[in-house]
Amino acid sequence: MSNARLLKMSERWFQLLGHLYPPDFRDEMGHALVEAYIDSARDTLKNRGRIHLMTLWFRALLDALRNGPAEQARPAASWRRSGNWGRDIERVTRRLVRSPMFAASTIATLTVGLGMFAFVATAVQRVLIDPMPYKDAGDLYYVWRDYRPVTDVARGALAGPDIVELQKAGAVIEGAVGMRPMLGGIFSLREGSEPMEIAVAQTSPNLFDMLGVKLEMGRGYSAEESGLGPGREQVIVLTHHLWNRLGANPGILGTDVRLQGRPHTVIGVLPKDFTFVRNDASAPPQRVDAYIPFEENLAAADPQSGAYTGLIRVRRGSSPDVAAAAVDAAGRVISKRDFGGRSLKLYPVGLKADTISRIQPALVALAAAGIVLVFMLMVNLASVLLARVSQREHELAVSRALGANTGAILRSTLLEGGMLGFAGGVLGALFASWGTKALVALAPLDLPRREAIAIDWRIAAAVILVGSLLGILGAAAPAIWAARTSLSSLLAGGSVRGGGGQSRWRRGMIVAQVALSLVLLSSGALVVRSFERLLRADPGFRPEGVLTVKLRTPPEFFPKPTDAIGFQDRVQDALASIPGVSGTGAASALPLTATAVFSSFQRAMTAPGAPGNTGDAEQDKLLIDFIGVRAGYTETMGIRLAAGRSFGKLRQNGVAEAMIDIGVARRFFPDGSAVGSEIRFGARPLTIVGVIGQPRMYDLHADGRPQVLVRAEDFGMRPLFYVMRTSRDPHSLLPDVTAAIRRIESRVPVGDPRSMDDLVQASRSPQAIGASLVGSFAVGALLLTAMGLFGVVAGSVTRRRHELAVRLAVGADHQRILWMVLGEGALLVSMGLLIGAPGIYFGYRAIGGLLVGVSPYDPLALLASALGLFTVAMAACYVPARRVLKIDPSQMLHQ
Amino acid sequence: MGTDRDRGIEKHLPLRRVEFHILLSLATGERHGYGIIRDIEARGDSTPPDLGTMYRALARMVEAGLIEAAGRRAEDGEERRNNYRITNTGVRVARAEARRLETMMQAARVGGLLPKEVR
Repeated sequence: MSNARLLKMSERWFQLLGHLYPPDFRDEMGHALVEAYIDSARDTLKNRGRIHLMTLWFRALLDALRNGPAEQARPAASWRRSGNWGRDIERVTRRLVRSPMFAASTIATLTVGLGMFAFVATAVQRVLIDPMPYKDAGDLYYVWRDYRPVTDVARGALAGPDIVELQKAGAVIEGAVGMRPMLGGIFSLREGSEPMEIAVAQTSPNLFDMLGVKLEMGRGYSAEESGLGPGREQVIVLTHHLWNRLGANPGILGTDVRLQGRPHTVIGVLPKDFTFVRNDASAPPQRVDAYIPFEENLAAADPQSGAYTGLIRVRRGSSPDVAAAAVDAAGRVISKRDFGGRSLKLYPVGLKADTISRIQPALVALAAAGIVLVFMLMVNLASVLLARVSQREHELAVSRALGANTGAILRSTLLEGGMLGFAGGVLGALFASWGTKALVALAPLDLPRREAIAIDWRIAAAVILVGSLLGILGAAAPAIWAARTSLSSLLAGGSVRGGGGQSRWRRGMIVAQVALSLVLLSSGALVVRSFERLLRADPGFRPEGVLTVKLRTPPEFFPKPTDAIGFQDRVQDALASIPGVSGTGAASALPLTATAVFSSFQRAMTAPGAPGNTGDAEQDKLLIDFIGVRAGYTETMGIRLAAGRSFGKLRQNGVAEAMIDIGVARRFFPDGSAVGSEIRFGARPLTIVGVIGQPRMYDLHADGRPQVLVRAEDFGMRPLFYVMRTSRDPHSLLPDVTAAIRRIESRVPVGDPRSMDDLVQASRSPQAIGASLVGSFAVGALLLTAMGLFGVVAGSVTRRRHELAVRLAVGADHQRILWMVLGEGALLVSMGLLIGAPGIYFGYRAIGGLLVGVSPYDPLALLASALGLFTVAMAACYVPARRVLKIDPSQMLHQ
Repeated sequence: MGTDRDRGIEKHLPLRRVEFHILLSLATGERHGYGIIRDIEARGDSTPPDLGTMYRALARMVEAGLIEAAGRRAEDGEERRNNYRITNTGVRVARAEARRLETMMQAARVGGLLPKEVR
């Protein structure tokens, strides 16, 4: 072997060893190092012989093995190769400032998206996750009775002895409290002063201890002040809110106030942050203004009459199963004793679960939509950053050749995403702190615990973190793509900028965006469609232009039933004479205000001799909602009369009249003979004078329990809700109403002024919140997708203009090229739709609780969302695709 | 501002053996890498540094401003090589290092580690 050949081999060997050094060192010194080794090899061959050349090779290997890794690891050099954080941040900032449109639009998108997410996160955190503001709130449970073996009430109130039984139960159940649900009252500071309607709760004496509340002033009531029987001196505890309304008098303790005209001694004022909302899952929650002890002895109360809400505290840390078992055990004892062994089970529901159960489906749906939205934002950011990175392909390849390592390139791209996400998170949190206030203040949300909904630093921090993470994750794909660019691949790609790899990634992202959009859009469509059904639902009355007020006629002021009726007559006449009022009436319960618990107007009826009877006494009893109304009520409310007549102004002596709803009529009088027939409540006979369409008591969209309307006067019903139909704005009637009532009886305040529209709105508020937010998330997702598609198609047309020009030159016409480009867009969208289709199912799982009367496979909603998505997507393709029409092949190919 | 400049010099001290060799060689004129190695061997250092070690030192010293690339030039009919030359800073650092070594030598003599030199 010749020496020249040996030298050639040596050179190869030394070059090979050079790869153990980092690229930038190799660029700078590699050539010289190899030359020096070759010099050394030449000298060795000349002076010392071939054997020593082998030694040199070996020494060179050891040298490279030692110095190569050492150079890789040299702190100062790796610092230089990977740049530094400060410089990277500065460079990314400068890059963003240099493209203000890009930065502004990206940050604005993130701000709006993350702001919405922050709002949803706040609501979810505060309502679903945070514990109720009581001591060990997780150990508090409401207890309900399942009455289903005898009636259709699954969630019934307890009787007095049940509470006593729970108090005696011991073991896991550490304490039990009875509460009478929402006893309203007329309250005044002293005899003759301005009366007001307040919400009073009667409770067992240990309620405040059980909740772990320290009173701001004074004390709670004791067992000795409870159960004293009627007519005895009463005590009262005021909430901070009521105390404030009364002028925040610090010397209020010990003074007498009037409740229903009777003196009550103020013994305590509750702290400011104490709220205890009574809520029972089907009606808007109500604030309690004052607490008084029971007059009656619970142990001696009627065991069959469910008049109390039970609240228990279980031993700290007991599991729900343990609590349920303990309650069930107590329930069995009672069932055997009071219900002859018919199993009327008692069961606990966590205090929080119970309080939020009405709004929970809406919040769960929102949380799911919020998470999908964050993913959408992330994919969108990824696609935008990828487009941006591809513009910097040359710069990246050059900086890589200059020694920037993979870490540095990854980091600068990740940093860009992270900084955008961080900025979006900060602005989004600000936006949400303003938006949350605005939404809570403006929207007629009857959200339980809505006072707790405010963004705090924890949520702001979480949103900023989510934003930054979203930014970094969104930048991951572009970063990896960027890290793979190299000068050689760029040169190999020739004039084709933004090579095929990048566009493949962006196409993948479009598919993901379309799929996510489909999930959000189909969920949004279902929610909106369900809401639209609610809007169109016929509640059985005409709510527009009706004002309602509640007037109490307590026995303390109207001892005899005839006194109350006289007052009610005069009130109705006075209301009818208010200018602009075209009709008046009154009812013992308004539509859409019924609560499943509040069973005082449920009664069992029979219709002896009716053709629909089966002959089985138990089956021929029907549980109905028993509502007292005054003449004019059905007309004023616009309740549909299907047969017969409504109540006339004059009552016939000795005849009690009734109107039944169509359901009752079908059940008992399938032959249409209802009018003129007789029904009974116990032994009391009533004559049917009319058949009506049901004014819905529970839900807007579905009939509730069958109804029978009787004359309020016949049953001495009080208090009554008055209704007035007017051509004016209903609320504008209120001053006239208040003045009219004061002229008749100054001790009776006008309570609960509401328009029927307010009630209708309140009853669909969860769906309204859900529909508006999920709907706007869906529209946002659609816009993001459209923007993404626009970018991809525009980029593709620009990149392929040469190829397209060639196609045009060899005979394709512009239309065909346009269709080709559109076809590619359509393929992406269709793939997204296919991939997203199974997601519809998960979307439905999340929003199911919010849907009313809409099937998850509602063809109209699904078709509309898929078609709408496709149409918008194709429009987003069409606009940039039209650029192909401007391609002039002769000009293009000359370039 | 002499102290500032001294401080600028002192941060390079002590020099590594290979660095001092490089400065010594370049102090007499421009050299390329292999030339420096040959100088070192000529100085009688029994274990001359590996080429890799030396080129890493060259790269670092260019960065630190002790030496600079002198461009490629041909010498003695050889191929064109990357030559290096010493900078002013490099000269000062080399001098400072030599003084430091001298001081150490003096100390070694005073301490009896080396025979006392009689002038």
